[in-house]
Amino acid sequence: MTATDVLTGRPTQAAPVLGSRPGLGAALRWETRKLRAQLRTKALLIGAVLVPIAVVVIVHSQPRPPKDTLFGRFATDNGFAMALLVLGFAAQWVLPLLTSIVAGDIFASEDQHGTWKTVLTRSTSRSTLFWGKSLVSIGFALLALLVLAAATIAASVLIVGHQPLTGLSGQTIQPQSAVTLVVASWACMALPMIGFTCLAILFSVWSRNVAVGIAAPVVIGLVMQLVGALGGIESLRPYLLTTPFEAWHGLLAEPRFTGPLLDGVITSAGWSVVCLVAAYLVLRRRDITGG
Amino acid sequence: MDDQLAVDAVDVVKAFGSIRAVDEITIKVAPGEVYGVLGPNGAGKTTFLRMLLGLIRPDSGTVRVFGRTWAHDGIATLDGVAGFIESPAFYPYLTGRQNLEGLGLLDGGARSGRLDEILEVVDLAGRADDRVRGYSYGMRQRLGVAASLIREPRLLVLDEPANGLDPAGIRDMRALVKRLADSGLTVLLSSHHMDEVEEICDNVTIMRRGEVAFHGAIAELRAQAPDPGYALATTDDARALAVAGRLPAVTATRAPDSGLTVTGPEDAVSSYVADLVRDGIRLRAFTPTRTPLEQLFFMLTDTGVRNEEVA
Repeated sequence: MTATDVLTGRPTQAAPVLGSRPGLGAALRWETRKLRAQLRTKALLIGAVLVPIAVVVIVHSQPRPPKDTLFGRFATDNGFAMALLVLGFAAQWVLPLLTSIVAGDIFASEDQHGTWKTVLTRSTSRSTLFWGKSLVSIGFALLALLVLAAATIAASVLIVGHQPLTGLSGQTIQPQSAVTLVVASWACMALPMIGFTCLAILFSVWSRNVAVGIAAPVVIGLVMQLVGALGGIESLRPYLLTTPFEAWHGLLAEPRFTGPLLDGVITSAGWSVVCLVAAYLVLRRRDITGG
Repeated sequence: MDDQLAVDAVDVVKAFGSIRAVDEITIKVAPGEVYGVLGPNGAGKTTFLRMLLGLIRPDSGTVRVFGRTWAHDGIATLDGVAGFIESPAFYPYLTGRQNLEGLGLLDGGARSGRLDEILEVVDLAGRADDRVRGYSYGMRQRLGVAASLIREPRLLVLDEPANGLDPAGIRDMRALVKRLADSGLTVLLSSHHMDEVEEICDNVTIMRRGEVAFHGAIAELRAQAPDPGYALATTDDARALAVAGRLPAVTATRAPDSGLTVTGPEDAVSSYVADLVRDGIRLRAFTPTRTPLEQLFFMLTDTGVRNEEVA
């Protein structure tokens, strides 16, 4: 038989194996393209710029500073303290939420739209798609953190000022050092945020439900903070994914201590690896009977 | 094993809990063939196609596509294969073109100009830059065919492509599938419409509750089909029954509501109608009920009869 393809004119008999298979790069480009097309992604990033500015303006305009929070006492007079005040607040639930909105959705939305069968019948393997989605989620988390940090620090310094900062041990930190420490403190959020991203990925894959994928990591984060605040469970605290969010405190003390930072790296990496491996196995073994 | 076969599925079993959705199915499709998998809803057609496309794993048996298996070749099993399961699904916030570009990316990238060609083929060129959330069901079905064609397939797997379409949509979709089939593509088409399969396919497997009820050529199926049936209403049904009694090849019975049900070979039924007119009995209505193939389909899928029993 000499039949030919309707469009290419090629013979239809043979079905040769592709010479070069699209790799992770193709999956990354596709996931990034989808993310960029979504209104929610743009809204999140715009919110990450505007909300901290609004918070800084509002707190700065208060007649009395929020003294009962870390660095709250100096926040109305000192831009660096303001940036650290916002950091402490963001670490409670904003950062987990910010990353979960994308990571908790990225797998479950394929179920929601019924598109697993569309993408899994192309030339890109399930594994490649998994890593593509995971890396894009992590990339977005880091981008959102970067935007939030930059907007917060810039707004704080520009609106409140860049006076010397009073550290946690009462020491005076000159503006040049203070800016470095504030940036470093925000940077310390990256690893636990990746941990929460991976947790959201796991819920997204496992639950196949966008709402669960987004809400579950935030709720778990709040529960962990509650558990961490309880007395008598000191041995458990280092393993909570919320504990690394507080590791930056050591940078602002005199003398500095970095033990919690190292513990935080291990804890965050542990959570990330366990969640990603579990999510990978769930997706690999799953029968796509619906979407 | 036959490496030349486009599809070589042998003794495939898939159970969900205690339900055997596919029960030792064997289907072989030669390259260039247009093959139908027919059965009522729940017969196991879609489950079989999902296994073929690697979306679910069979519990036992082997599924080879152009000689390749999922266990051995992984995603390469799908090289040269495209299609869609149930209704094709896309990202509603992207345009039709963006969806195709993205899917093309996952296939290694579509060559320049190819998307436009494909969009012309499926008659979506004018709406390609609209978001998919605004597409009608029929447009999504055609976009599904377009997404399949990007892969330059040698085997096209279509699961009930005309399902849910209005009559015009069904006509267009069938014409499109026929064009693709005529171009020499191997087509594996699942349907629960006998006429759709009869129109397009060379060979067919009829499934019933996960099992094969018939397997063979459409011509063979036609040969096994019972006589066609007609609904007849006359000015004098009692005399019409008596006239039928004179013709051994024709069977006429009273229909449950009113009128008569007539079955018999087409020639004999024609003679019967001529006799009625000659005897002064006027026909108020004379309409075919089910086509012979439809009748056979219902016999095979409703009653548990297998093709050897029909034969």
